[in-house]
Amino acid sequence: MPPLTRALLLLSAALVVTACAAADAGDAGTLPDTSRWDEVLAEAEGATLDLHMWGGSTEINRFVDEVYGPRLAELGITLRRVPLADTADAVNAVLGELEAGRSSDGSIDVIWINGENHATMRQAEALHTGWAESLPNAALVDWRDPAVAFDAGIPVEGAESPWGSAQFQFVYDTARTDAAELPASYAQLADWIRDNPGRFTYPAPPAFHGTRFLTQWLYELSGGAEAWVDGFDEDAYEAAAARLFALLEELRPHLWRDGATYPNDIADLDRLFANGEVDMTFTQLPAGIGANVEAGTLPDSARPFVLDTGTIGDHHYLGIPVNAAEPAAAMVLADLVLDPDLQTAKLDPANGWGDGLAIDVGRLADHDRAAIDALTAGFGDLALPPERLAAVRLPDAPPELTDALDRDWERVVRQQRPRS
Amino acid sequence: MTVVTPAATDAARPAPRPATGGPGATSRPVALAVVLLLALLLLPFVPLVLASFAQGYFYPQVLPERWSLRAWQVVLAPDGATWAALRDTVTIAVSVAVLSLVVAVPAGRVLGTRRFRGRRAVELVLLTPVLVPAIAVAIGLHVVLLRLGLAGGIPGVVLVHLVPATPYVVLLTAGVFANAELELEQQARSLGASWWQAQRHVTWRLVAPGLAVAGLFGFLVSWGQYVLTLVVGGGRVVTLPILLFATASGGDTAITAATALFHALPALVLLVLTSRILGGGALTTFGGAR
Amino acid sequence: MSARWHAHEGVRTWVALSPALLLVGVLFGGAVVMALLRSIGLLGIGEGGPSLAAYRQLVTDPGFARSLGLTLYVAVVSTSLSVVLGIGAALLLRRLGAGRRFATTMFQLNLPVPHVIGAVAILALVGQSGLLSRLGAQTGLLDEPAAFPAITFDPWAIAVILQYLWKEVPFIGIVALAILAAGGDDLEEAARTLGASAWQRLRHVTLPLLLPGVLSAAVIVFAFTFGTFEVPLLLGPSAPTVLPVLAHRRYTDVDLAARPEAMAISVVITVVVVLVVLLGAAGARRAIRGDAAVTEAGG
Repeated sequence: MPPLTRALLLLSAALVVTACAAADAGDAGTLPDTSRWDEVLAEAEGATLDLHMWGGSTEINRFVDEVYGPRLAELGITLRRVPLADTADAVNAVLGELEAGRSSDGSIDVIWINGENHATMRQAEALHTGWAESLPNAALVDWRDPAVAFDAGIPVEGAESPWGSAQFQFVYDTARTDAAELPASYAQLADWIRDNPGRFTYPAPPAFHGTRFLTQWLYELSGGAEAWVDGFDEDAYEAAAARLFALLEELRPHLWRDGATYPNDIADLDRLFANGEVDMTFTQLPAGIGANVEAGTLPDSARPFVLDTGTIGDHHYLGIPVNAAEPAAAMVLADLVLDPDLQTAKLDPANGWGDGLAIDVGRLADHDRAAIDALTAGFGDLALPPERLAAVRLPDAPPELTDALDRDWERVVRQQRPRS
Repeated sequence: MTVVTPAATDAARPAPRPATGGPGATSRPVALAVVLLLALLLLPFVPLVLASFAQGYFYPQVLPERWSLRAWQVVLAPDGATWAALRDTVTIAVSVAVLSLVVAVPAGRVLGTRRFRGRRAVELVLLTPVLVPAIAVAIGLHVVLLRLGLAGGIPGVVLVHLVPATPYVVLLTAGVFANAELELEQQARSLGASWWQAQRHVTWRLVAPGLAVAGLFGFLVSWGQYVLTLVVGGGRVVTLPILLFATASGGDTAITAATALFHALPALVLLVLTSRILGGGALTTFGGAR
Repeated sequence: MSARWHAHEGVRTWVALSPALLLVGVLFGGAVVMALLRSIGLLGIGEGGPSLAAYRQLVTDPGFARSLGLTLYVAVVSTSLSVVLGIGAALLLRRLGAGRRFATTMFQLNLPVPHVIGAVAILALVGQSGLLSRLGAQTGLLDEPAAFPAITFDPWAIAVILQYLWKEVPFIGIVALAILAAGGDDLEEAARTLGASAWQRLRHVTLPLLLPGVLSAAVIVFAFTFGTFEVPLLLGPSAPTVLPVLAHRRYTDVDLAARPEAMAISVVITVVVVLVVLLGAAGARRAIRGDAAVTEAGG
């Protein structure tokens, strides 16, 4: 048989096989009943739990591996932490699997998720709902707090269980910058950038810190976060975005590398800051930068600060895809991370993280509360006082706003094209 | 007859050497140039080594102010992610090497020893997967493998790694067979050996070293793959390149450097070992095909 | 030799070849076909019927044209420089007397090192806060990171090209060395005794000898530098970026409508590479024929 015919036959066969693969629209997995927690634990035993989470911080990775890993092992669950460069990768993976008909035994059991990604998955009905508020430890969470019950304006409806909380802060180096020169608002930041050309940049959206940095700027240009509390308004956005991007364009030559290139994510920005290429970076950790200084990724002389006009604080969560292979084990993890001693350990920068609490301190036993108070008292000036953070805390924006910001930034700033 | 002149001091006229290039005079500029060349090639490893043994190695330190074994301790930690990634990377790479050799031996033998119509075309067809970028293969195959339930697992990753690896292995194997003195096999047969005996005692001895190196190439192609594993593995398969990339996107330069060196070492060791097998000049066995 | 024996041989040949061809055909052919089909809107869920919308989108997108231009530029420059420097390195190494084997082994050391590592290493070396910059700071030549030339993430993709050179110069060099080892010396010696100068020897003996093999290797280098993803991602500019990174970005875009575009970009990458391979193969054939003519004429 001539080679060409043979080749064509092979290709057609391959095509037929793939085209005929049954797109199975079967039922998604169902979740075990949380009111019978013993059965949940029993079902989870022996499972390998695939946790997909942002892997950009070695310290956070180690915390998860070394703190949650053994505790899960005691319950018979093997934790397999899968590092992601971007949570959107996991979202895509789940959506791709569902699209290909894989409605059970998915490759992802639990995702570290919030904000836009949560919104995307809810829209695609790709997350299990209604389970988070009935976990045993959910009693420790203040589900009536809108900061918990709403994720970027979208009602959580038990589709994700809180893991921790965070608030955006700026970081500067006392060795290079005088505290008196620090900006107290984005307007002053713009002045600072003009006065210090080439010494400032931010991660390119859709990197988390970049998007959040710009969202806060948009708040300030649109009259404050209150303008967005009732949801996304197209006209209001158009007006504010026009102002924001005009300003960014004006500031562009004063940014690092003349604004022609931006660091890919917060880790790159931290490196630029630590190596003295720029003078500011960001962090999300309520416990401050103690962990970074300890690990040697930020200099000893670095300190956090926030703007008087406010920065965004929110919770982050664990979500379970509808096609998760081990939903019971996922729920066990979600419950486990809410244990007061584990929440305290997570808050402690000495353990490498310094992430905020997901549980309500008012609902804790006295000794747990005392432990947390002692911990926060010991942060020193590597962290900002919780009262300061709370005083300037702003809610996160509706996902339409952050989506639009990411899209417009990519178009206007990255590709230098007009905003259609 | 060659005229032997004393070692020239004039740099423009390097001294003639025997044709086989044995020990003879090397002019100073040549030696310096070679040293410079090698130094440039090895230079990029220097900051990696320095960073991996340092803490807080910020600009403008050249030698670290704070030496530390912390990064290596983390990378080499017994239960750490690095060993797991090494295990998976090796499993995949060995599978790829073995599977590609299995299909390569019959194909390579034929390509290397027989002239037949369509040989050029076959070579070209086999070469194309090497050339077409991995990203195209990855996103093309991803959905297919998803439907077949192979995405997100080691078997699926092995399959996609075979795409760039097999052509190398086949073409290298063809080179091995082309250069092997297969007449010896004929002689053994004519002396009364069975086909199997001839294969076992003659042919195998002739081609085994070359096949080992061909397999090594398949191994190395798989060892360094990033995009294919990223897309098809769906993040569930964490090989060393995936781990390294994730670490490089994180903030810890020391750990990134240590992971990078950890990833480079085994490949280097293997290359040196196989150089020994072939007595130096591993690549010249195949006439230089990559 | 009977016709039946020939036919028997023919069948055996193709049977021996079939596992390899099958593997390549199904996996690779399948990948290409899938990308092609999905780029025109077939076989993907929610992408509607067949249409050239994805391609039309690409053609009208100035970002795509810039990416294509950048990718071609990087590939052409990397390939040409690797060929020149690789041949130069090979010639240099052949001039070595003592220590030639050690030097050749060291020269090959980069070859098995994966590109991701090379990229990380180059960044640590030539970044604005990299080792070279720090040396500049220590010697007082530079006073801040920004004073060091910005060759990472820059529009000319200099660090990307450097990293490709770092890997591909040894590759081309080894190929050239292998060719020269196989028979370069005799011809060169003959030319020398006939009175040819070093330059004449280079031009009329060495280079033509190297050309076919190096050309094949150069085609591989072009294909590689055109299609690599991880190096430009770590070292290159982000806008415009190279086609493989662009394809990945579109593929992982949360907006599923970007998938066909990703496939279309893949197809374009494949087409360009295949075209260059065919051109290179034709060029190599011509070079071989030319070389054969010279050898015949020279007796």
